[in-house]
Amino acid sequence: MSMSSKLKEALIGLKAGCVTLDYPAQPRPVASNFRGRPIFDAQKCIGCAGCANNCPAREILVFDVCQEIRILTYLGRRCTYCGRCAEVCPEKAITMSQEYETATNHIGDLQQRLDLFMSTCQRCGRCFKESSPLEQLKLKGYRIDDLEHERWIFRSRAYLENEPAADDIEIELD
Amino acid sequence: MTRIIAGGLANVAAVLLLAPLCEGVLRKVTARLQSRRGPPLWQPYFDLLKLLGKEDIESGQSPGLQRFVARLSLAAVLTTACLVPMGFPAPMNGAGDVILLIYLLTLCGICTLLGGLAAGSTYSLMGVAREMMTMIALEPLFAIALLIGAVHAGSFRLDDVLNGSVYAAKGIPWSGLIVLGVMVLSFQAFVQRAPFDMSEAETEIMEGPLMEYSGPKLALFKYARAARLMVHSGLFIALFAPWGSELAFPLGWLLFWAKMLALVLLVTAVAATHARYRIDQAIRYFAGLLAAAFAALALAGYGH
Amino acid sequence: MLKNLCQKMFGRSLWVYHANSGGCNGCDIEVLNVLTPYYDVERFGIKLVGSPRHADVMLCQGPAMRATARALRAAYEAMPAPKLVFAIGGCACGGGIWHDSYPVLGPVEKVIPVNFYIPGCPPRPEAIIYGVAVAVGLVDKKVAPVEFKQLALPIPRYHPSDLRGRDEMVVYEKAEKI
Repeated sequence: MSMSSKLKEALIGLKAGCVTLDYPAQPRPVASNFRGRPIFDAQKCIGCAGCANNCPAREILVFDVCQEIRILTYLGRRCTYCGRCAEVCPEKAITMSQEYETATNHIGDLQQRLDLFMSTCQRCGRCFKESSPLEQLKLKGYRIDDLEHERWIFRSRAYLENEPAADDIEIELD
Repeated sequence: MTRIIAGGLANVAAVLLLAPLCEGVLRKVTARLQSRRGPPLWQPYFDLLKLLGKEDIESGQSPGLQRFVARLSLAAVLTTACLVPMGFPAPMNGAGDVILLIYLLTLCGICTLLGGLAAGSTYSLMGVAREMMTMIALEPLFAIALLIGAVHAGSFRLDDVLNGSVYAAKGIPWSGLIVLGVMVLSFQAFVQRAPFDMSEAETEIMEGPLMEYSGPKLALFKYARAARLMVHSGLFIALFAPWGSELAFPLGWLLFWAKMLALVLLVTAVAATHARYRIDQAIRYFAGLLAAAFAALALAGYGH
Repeated sequence: MLKNLCQKMFGRSLWVYHANSGGCNGCDIEVLNVLTPYYDVERFGIKLVGSPRHADVMLCQGPAMRATARALRAAYEAMPAPKLVFAIGGCACGGGIWHDSYPVLGPVEKVIPVNFYIPGCPPRPEAIIYGVAVAVGLVDKKVAPVEFKQLALPIPRYHPSDLRGRDEMVVYEKAEKI
């Protein structure tokens, strides 16, 4: 317990002055590549669900109401701000803004919900092409993520809830 | 008679009103030494008011004893304040003498022990064990300082002893200087600040004896802790730095408060720059100081 | 009257208890950063205490795990009223990246009621101070739910079932399909 080292310690503290940042009174700038909250631009989104498929926290949910309307919901709760959705988006509809002041008392405040019109093909009436020509004739590929329980479901269905199983094209082989 | 009551009330009011301010000064200066802005000076008043408004959860082994001890701790410190000269001679010096003062100071320490024992949880008992070991080694130091003053002054009356009587030997007052050194080196432990706050306020490492208290009872304990700083500082000033207390009323009184502020700043500076001692290191330290104090007592007996 | 004063003082001196129920400690480090001189949250009167009985606010990090859910509940019930719970970080707000892992029960709100959410992974210390300021009432919150609805369908829809006629005369007949 040497006095001189304690005195030096006190002098160092005093010489540094008062380094406290005046934060809520004055805004703090962030670095230029800071990833804050993702913002979804509904004008550019084509509803491909690439962001939902790539989100590591499964935080983007997709639900097909019918052939032409797809609901894309970003719940901001467990988003890790990794930026994969923005990186993967083909239309650059997602931007990682620089907002970090996202505290709230109601967790639903962070939600961004897009009800998107999916243009249907003028030929076949579907929104996306299937992998093989045979499947292209048959499968509609409706997404069924669970919106009430906010759960991501890994499959898609060939038919919508209120329509019977798809049976629209019959393939005739001679 | 009215002088006694008025003086006692003035002392108690001064301690009640200014103890949180002393703690506020302590927290602010600690913050400045750590290069940060720190809480406003009135922060302990806000803390105490907020604690008074919280719900009181009665947990621990004996809630009745907990209630009693919470009130006893503040009461003991305020009673000691009536015996401390704060700018004017101690108001109740007719009611007791040095022995009463020593017992009251020990009572302030025992309240912490009782508080921890009444709570009865593991961490409280650990804090109580440390506080017991500290008290055994520490209370004799102050008692010996007062006894040296009594030996030199030849009586146990408060206004004879609390008047710088430790320096009253013929020639160079060796015993006075030795016991001054001992008290300066151990003052931090009496007011339970770093580096000697192992027992009670050790909320960072273990919760200590105050763990099971919440709301108003905790407010009383925190108040008592802040008031102990003031009371012990007053006693230290009266015993070892009484110069200037004979001046006329405003000056002597203001000089006392200036000395008190200087002592609080000294306590803060030491508390902000030191790390906490372990209990065995502290006991060894106090044992060394006890040896020096006994040597001083022997010297005082021989008139030096 | 005294009670009124005590309640007004609640926002000026919040004592904080820090409870990590299974996270990765990233948010712990950010909370500790908030207590350092650079961000110094003690100027708002906030102090870190070691016992939930002394605390007003519980800062929860990490999702509620199977092993620690009971301890978290016990710490919450040990706090005297009035109390607040802040869920800090993505794990406490919604379960985090490991929300579907085997020991994780879910977000902290499955075990204790949460008053304020501070999302982030980990949230910046400024974001934590901002959250505390919103709770105390110094600033307003800046997020609100965003909803985009397509009010009118922009182009006509051509669907196989809209085809009318046969042989050479095949025309589309517009039908309301939605």
